[in-house]
Amino acid sequence: MRNAPPPPSQPPREPGTDLPAAIVRTAAGGGSELAVAASLPAAARVEPDVGPVGDGTRGLRRTIAYALMIGYALLMFVPFAWTIITSFKTRPDSLNLEFIPDPLTFAGWQFAIENLEPSIVTLFTNSAVIAAAVTITNLVLGSIGGYAFARLRFPGREILFLVVLATLMIPDQLRLVPVYVLFNSLGLTRDVGQYISVILVLAISATSIFLLRQYFLSIPKDLEEAARIDGAGFFTTFYRVMLPLATPALAAVTILQFQGTWNAFFWPVILLRDQDHYTLPLGLLFFREAGGFSTNWPPLMAVVVIATIPIFTLYIFFQRYFVEGVAASGVKG
Amino acid sequence: MKRVGERQEALAGYAFIAVPMVLFLVLNIGTTLYAFFISLWDWNIRRGPEEFLGLQNFERILSDPIFQSAIRNSIYYTAIWVPLTMAIGLFLAVVVNQKIRGRTFFRAAFYFPAIASSAAITVLWIFLLQPDGLFNEIRGALGLNPLFQAIGYGPNHNWFGDYRTAMNSVIILNAWTTSGTFMLFYLASLQSISNDVYEAAAIDGAGPWDAFWKVTFPLLKPGHFFVATVGVIGGLQLFDQALIAGSSNGDPNNSLMTIVLYLYNAAFVQLNFGYAAAVGVVLFLVIFTATLIQRRLFGDTQPA
Repeated sequence: MRNAPPPPSQPPREPGTDLPAAIVRTAAGGGSELAVAASLPAAARVEPDVGPVGDGTRGLRRTIAYALMIGYALLMFVPFAWTIITSFKTRPDSLNLEFIPDPLTFAGWQFAIENLEPSIVTLFTNSAVIAAAVTITNLVLGSIGGYAFARLRFPGREILFLVVLATLMIPDQLRLVPVYVLFNSLGLTRDVGQYISVILVLAISATSIFLLRQYFLSIPKDLEEAARIDGAGFFTTFYRVMLPLATPALAAVTILQFQGTWNAFFWPVILLRDQDHYTLPLGLLFFREAGGFSTNWPPLMAVVVIATIPIFTLYIFFQRYFVEGVAASGVKG
Repeated sequence: MKRVGERQEALAGYAFIAVPMVLFLVLNIGTTLYAFFISLWDWNIRRGPEEFLGLQNFERILSDPIFQSAIRNSIYYTAIWVPLTMAIGLFLAVVVNQKIRGRTFFRAAFYFPAIASSAAITVLWIFLLQPDGLFNEIRGALGLNPLFQAIGYGPNHNWFGDYRTAMNSVIILNAWTTSGTFMLFYLASLQSISNDVYEAAAIDGAGPWDAFWKVTFPLLKPGHFFVATVGVIGGLQLFDQALIAGSSNGDPNNSLMTIVLYLYNAAFVQLNFGYAAAVGVVLFLVIFTATLIQRRLFGDTQPA
């Protein structure tokens, strides 16, 4: 196989890029945010093609492997399928073990779209606006920062980059109180300020800077130097020459940040205090609490579907970036 | 001439990093230091510091029985969830890593639950695990109820509603969500093992089982370390699922009270910001200690 990537947690080549310790604010507990921080270059795209050398029992092992994989894949899909099925059932039917809704009704969807307070349109819009804004800030700030850390020489560069990486080791929860106190004193915990505070706190992640920096480091210097000799300034060189070359890394940052922010729970639950500023995950929490354990399931399941569909669609089209991005996070030392 | 160029480059560098760096210095570094400061005070959200308490907040936290159950719950969750999900993730990675048709599809399928939000997943699981939900119905239909009866769970057991099973339900839920992520981590690690090693093992007459335990598993040590570190840190930060399933009290009977939920509760239910900041500091120290311990245990992962 080509270019086997180094194993995770190999001694870092770059100062401070010790991922295992650094990329620590994963998903895990939250289950949503990706632990991704890595360059996506060639190494990450190596297809896994190593398998133990076959022997006589290969056919049997293959059958067992398929049975297990199909079984586990079903386990992954059935709960989602059940969500969709339930959203089309009537309220009394919602707890029956029927895989085809009978009668099939759109009442749950209609209720979800028309009757919820805050409305699903509000929730969806809030999620979309915040996710789009955070994605854009990460792309802009991540690429200028990543480029400078990769290519421009200035005193203090290494230490500042270490500071950026060190932020990955600080648990968000330690910052909860001071961030809230700070935004509150700036008036950003009221009205439109709530959106601004969530966008600000998520505006730039060290992951974005790291990922883009690694990508810029992998681009040969020739083009850049040619542009400089032609008299292009630093910004023009960056914007016209380097940025277009970094498209794969920009795509990865886009997917990661959009998905991460769309699904984000922690900062929104802290900073979005008014119902009409809620995002979809907060709406789900609110509807769950309002309904308790015996609730009107079909519309709630419709909301789950609505909250998941945008990311699901992205996953269908850009699966490579999701899967390889996560895989790469374990790779780069 | 050259000096001028260098100066320009340096100025350009500072201009490029200025905005992101200010955000990091204020919102990450500054707030972290501020958190330590606030933790020493009785802090009012409107009026700011009211009374200097020194370490009293910390003393009160450590002697609060609810915090003690929060820390027990967080550690219990982490101690079960991390190895369980590692085992599933490793197993899936090994299976998907074989040269078989459709492995790209299966890899994508196994990772699938990780793309959805924690809120959507938790609400979905509350629905599946409620007394007359899909899980209880299916085990009834499959005739598994006597088995569950034998370990004390009736046919309509309320998995999230019973303090004995609430946290275990969260563990299963998150193992289901995250096994695909851990699989991807392990896949990256598996790819670093050279085929030669397997060939050598096969020549020595090692079957697939032996090859896995004697060759693959030990060579994955850096992978184990990475996944375990990421897992433990994430596990100690368990929050979303606990809040959604157990509200801010970690119901029932504090069984879903975690360190972060306790912090959230202190800040936004009791409005005791100094105390909440101190809980944040304790959490930071717990995570820091756990990471150091792991580093001591398997940290010397020089590649073999």
